Amino acid sequence: MKFVAVIRQVPDGESRLKIEGGKVDLGGVTMILDQMDEWAVEEVIRLQEKHGGESVVVALGPERFEEAIRTALAMGIDRAIHLVAEGYLDPITQAEALAKVIRAEAPTLVFTGGQQADWDSQALGPALAEALAWPVVSWTTQIELEGETHAKAKHDLDEGAEVVRVALPAVFTSQQGLNEPRYPTLPGIMKAKRKELKKVPVSASSKVEILEQTIQEKSRLNKMIDGKDPVAAAHELVRLLHEEAKVI
Amino acid sequence: MIVDRPRDLWFELDSEERQIIGALRDFLQAEVAPTAAERDETGAFPFEIVKKLGQMGVMGAQVPEQYGGAGLSTRTFARIIEEIAAVDGSLALTVASHNSLCTGHILIAGNEQQKRQFLPRLASAEVLGAWGLTEPGSGSDAAAMRTKAEETASGWVLNGSKQFITQGSVAGVYVINARTDAAPSEEKKHLGLSALVFEAPIPGLRIGRKEKKLGLNASDTAQIIFEDITLPKEALLGERGKGFYDVMKVLEGGRIGIAAMAVGLGRAALEFASKYALQREQFGKPIAEFQAVSHKLAEMATQLEAARLLYLKAAELRDAGKPFGPAAAQAKLFASEVAVQACDEAIQILGGYGYIKEYPVERYWRDARLTRIGEGTSEVLKVIIAKHLLAQYR
Repeated sequence: MKFVAVIRQVPDGESRLKIEGGKVDLGGVTMILDQMDEWAVEEVIRLQEKHGGESVVVALGPERFEEAIRTALAMGIDRAIHLVAEGYLDPITQAEALAKVIRAEAPTLVFTGGQQADWDSQALGPALAEALAWPVVSWTTQIELEGETHAKAKHDLDEGAEVVRVALPAVFTSQQGLNEPRYPTLPGIMKAKRKELKKVPVSASSKVEILEQTIQEKSRLNKMIDGKDPVAAAHELVRLLHEEAKVI
Repeated sequence: MIVDRPRDLWFELDSEERQIIGALRDFLQAEVAPTAAERDETGAFPFEIVKKLGQMGVMGAQVPEQYGGAGLSTRTFARIIEEIAAVDGSLALTVASHNSLCTGHILIAGNEQQKRQFLPRLASAEVLGAWGLTEPGSGSDAAAMRTKAEETASGWVLNGSKQFITQGSVAGVYVINARTDAAPSEEKKHLGLSALVFEAPIPGLRIGRKEKKLGLNASDTAQIIFEDITLPKEALLGERGKGFYDVMKVLEGGRIGIAAMAVGLGRAALEFASKYALQREQFGKPIAEFQAVSHKLAEMATQLEAARLLYLKAAELRDAGKPFGPAAAQAKLFASEVAVQACDEAIQILGGYGYIKEYPVERYWRDARLTRIGEGTSEVLKVIIAKHLLAQYR
């Protein structure tokens, strides 16, 4: 069996992004493996640990993606294929380029993140399934193989969840709750340097071109509650948290 | 559309270090930071955390891969210590001493059999390591030690005691420096010393007083007492009678770790004080806008950066196989002094809030204070630095 994780590198959520001349400036920003892709990587490693076979990580992106790829290798993936493409490519174009490589690998299944932390796109998994003409199970929280031909998976829907049986090969996207990813170990990080990382140049033209980027800024509401009557203030705070902020 | 990052410079984290520090930061924030203040209060030793650090490979950071370690450079190891210290000084000392002292001595002086016997279990933190040099009556004057190992037909009998031993009461492997042979003269009393390595529990090993300290409360410090401990011939670690030279090498390496630990603690104080100064308002504006405060922050940042460059230099020299003793002494001297200063200034910036235990800066100060003492006091380091300096002009 062969299990493939498709990953991307994104800015760390705690980084401060700057806009320079209408573009996002990533200089000085910590770049990490997308967390939802990390769940995909962890699940692929667990499937391999349980069923044997091989694990492969595939990524499409600029040279700097190599660090995220090494993170996946450090966690325990066997080898990597890096489709090198600088600049922005839309998810449909990405999926077409990825599909060629993945079809040649002929894996048992493919796992990727449910949603991208940077562009908030949920399209890559379904687009990849479309390009491969394979079924897709999105927002997966549980997966179990039934031999090499089928998998039983639980996935989230807007209204709740459902359990499906799907013919393999198929594409799965991750959802919170799928697993708790392991920390890469130091020897794992050192060994990752020596694992196979195949680079394939990609020349594809994006169907979407980005003309300008801005960062969404939310200003604070600065709501102050009069604290002279502590009981009334507490009631008002609870009301605001419940009715307006909707956090309790 | 995206402007990429420039290439790494020698003082920046390299690609591998970014991986390592990134993983470590995730671990520290999730598993260590939330309970660091509580452990400082109770003095509870973090067995679980140390076990997990063992699984990650941090407890055998510089042990070669063939003995179950991560095989990292001194430089990357020092970065790791800085990172841990910025969250929990006690844990940084546990990791630094386990790696540099006990494990470090076996790496420097051990034979193949000893390396295979002890290193894999030390690297995985299955057992912790302790290293015994200081005694009740001998600190900086280490060669004046009174712990004795007498040769017998089958090996050695060890008697004496050691003071302020990190991991003293929780270790499973002990490297103990003792006098095995009479010194040829008072001036040459550094000759005749040897190191012995053994596992606990062992008959005759007694744990004495567990010390209550100013800081680093969750790091274990104890007196250990040896009463006729019988050891085989194979317990001898390194060359008989020349142990003092190995001790010097161990300490030189250890100083890089303590320098990095100091920088980490100072950095934590600087980060906390900077955020506080931007939030705390007095006279109608954030106190960071008063030069009396911002200049303090500027000085702290500059001195800590200089200290980091000094420990990186010492580490790079050691990794390149070049003499690094004076550089390590300078790094540890400077880093420990400026880190204590930075923590002190952070308390000053926080004012009353800096002095109470609800905020972490007083803990950083208490933890940092040890770095001016351990692995050679500032005063002894100045003696070493001056000796090397003047030798060039004699």
